[in-house]
Amino acid sequence: MQGVFEGNDNVLHRGLVTLPCSFYNTKVIFIPNKSIGEIEIIPRDKTKAVIAAKNTLEYFNLDKIYGGYLIINSNIPLRLGLGSSTSDVVATINAVANAFDIPINEEEVAKLAVKSETASDSIMFDRSVLFAQREAFIIEDFSKKIPPLEIVGFNTDNTGEGVDTLSFPPVKYTEEDIDAFKILRVAIRRAIRMQDPSLIGKVASASSHINQKYLPKYKFNDIEKIASKTGALGIQVSHSGTVMGIMYDYKEKKITRDEKTKAAKALLNEIGFRKIWKFNTKCLEVI
Amino acid sequence: MFLDSKKETIIDSIELPKIVKLSENLYGAAFSLMKLLPARFIIDNAIKEGLINKDSVIIESSSGTFALGLAMVCSLYGYKLIIVSDPAMDDNLKRRIEDLGAQVEIMDEPGKAGNFQRARLDRVKELQRQYPNHYWTNQYDNPLNAKAYSLVAHLLVEKLGKIDFIVGSVGSGGSMCGTTMYLRKLFPELYSIAVDTHGSVIFGENERKRILRGLGNSIIPDNVNHSIFDEVHWVEADQAYAFARKLHREHALYMGGTSGASYLVADWYAKKNPNAKGVVLFPDQGYRYQSTIYNNDWLHSNNLFLSELPSEPRIVQYPEEAECGWCRIIWGRRMLEDVKLEGILGK
Repeated sequence: MQGVFEGNDNVLHRGLVTLPCSFYNTKVIFIPNKSIGEIEIIPRDKTKAVIAAKNTLEYFNLDKIYGGYLIINSNIPLRLGLGSSTSDVVATINAVANAFDIPINEEEVAKLAVKSETASDSIMFDRSVLFAQREAFIIEDFSKKIPPLEIVGFNTDNTGEGVDTLSFPPVKYTEEDIDAFKILRVAIRRAIRMQDPSLIGKVASASSHINQKYLPKYKFNDIEKIASKTGALGIQVSHSGTVMGIMYDYKEKKITRDEKTKAAKALLNEIGFRKIWKFNTKCLEVI
Repeated sequence: MFLDSKKETIIDSIELPKIVKLSENLYGAAFSLMKLLPARFIIDNAIKEGLINKDSVIIESSSGTFALGLAMVCSLYGYKLIIVSDPAMDDNLKRRIEDLGAQVEIMDEPGKAGNFQRARLDRVKELQRQYPNHYWTNQYDNPLNAKAYSLVAHLLVEKLGKIDFIVGSVGSGGSMCGTTMYLRKLFPELYSIAVDTHGSVIFGENERKRILRGLGNSIIPDNVNHSIFDEVHWVEADQAYAFARKLHREHALYMGGTSGASYLVADWYAKKNPNAKGVVLFPDQGYRYQSTIYNNDWLHSNNLFLSELPSEPRIVQYPEEAECGWCRIIWGRRMLEDVKLEGILGK
């Protein structure tokens, strides 16, 4: 879910609830070094991670003393809206703190991440939160993880070029959208409290619908039809990327789930989407 | 932000309904006085937007509970209120509204078309001229009436989660159109069933005197958005009363006649669709009807006592076929003009 939501200050803030995917991850090694004033990074193009390392050193008042070597190892496909840069940035911040044995909490990581990459997903938190992705604070803490889901994911952009998250200007939502986000928020609060996957599906679908007006996904209507034909809970979109997912209830019997996801894959192939993967809160496979 | 965060006045504490389980798949949303919610919402909005000040005169045309809701709000907030009404307003209600400090004007002559709505609206126009510093809440056409029910939609989702169908009476259109519209932002397939009564023009019947009050209308308010409804039912007064009594007998819910009408339809639909979860709106309590609906002598002497409960509505293709008895039409989210046109072409 992504939209605008009222904070405790009665002001509207841009906010999101992230769908976590624990298979995709980034491992970062940071080796502090006093003799090099710079951050040396591998691979070289991870510029947001460099900024994150510098910001973290500065936050600890160590930037005048230390540079270091940053080695990033990530399995997350880039430029699709899977949150690869947030993952790099958050792992980097934690690695730097860890290198100096300085404790750092989730809120501090969130502030440094947003400072480093302008807008971040809320993966620094170990639970579901409504996160102000450009202001780095929790609008509402749902205190639990979202209920277990199985997602059939795919890229709606077959060119494979991907996009730069920051190239999307912030959406200007209408009054009507803002009203809709209010009820979506009530629903996601209940869905997490009651661990109700079908209600999560409704929320994700409704948010996808609203945002389709602003950042349209290719063949959206066909994808929706496939979701309803295969007994899915709903659909979810990357709000600043091109990937989408069809959501299924992970608590259903494996044989039932497999039937549904297989049918979804076949139908997605039929409308031209080639690369399709499947993940749940635990693991991922290419199907 | 949280629905229960401030409960200070009587309005804050009773404007939202109690959610009551009626069967495995049917819940009632029982209001003490439903119209309190739009009345409070509209006045709060007028204050926020700077449309009224402490000397403003609030004007409204109402013969029922919206007048009472507004009188409670204006009494607590300290605004002068003039209610334009007609003989359908019973004396107890009138006295209660006056006790809250409002002025009640009863139109004793119907307007040119033979109904009081026109006469009431003409009088509202006069009052607007008479009091330049006025605010006409206009429950029939003010979109804020429907918008107030976003709060009901939030409560229903918070308490019930996924909802498949909703049943409720239509008079101004505010409660059913508002609640349905906001719930559909989350549940686009929500099946919405309107309950009306014979002689009401809202869903295309010809106008005639209505025995069952509190729902239906002799005009079509702007707040009625026909194209949100999947199905429409017309109900008779005796049936509605019998189901109000059933609701009291079986669930100890002491509600009015419109609640009975809605319960009749909701109970039937819920039994026919055991896998769908639904909610039915009950707009007011039974105290106003102690000597009528809840009095067998009165029911008998007015030929409104039903010894056997109705079990099935008659299905009609066109509103004109409804006429009498419990009827239903598959509305199919159509505009009123389209339903009427198909009626003409179909015959």
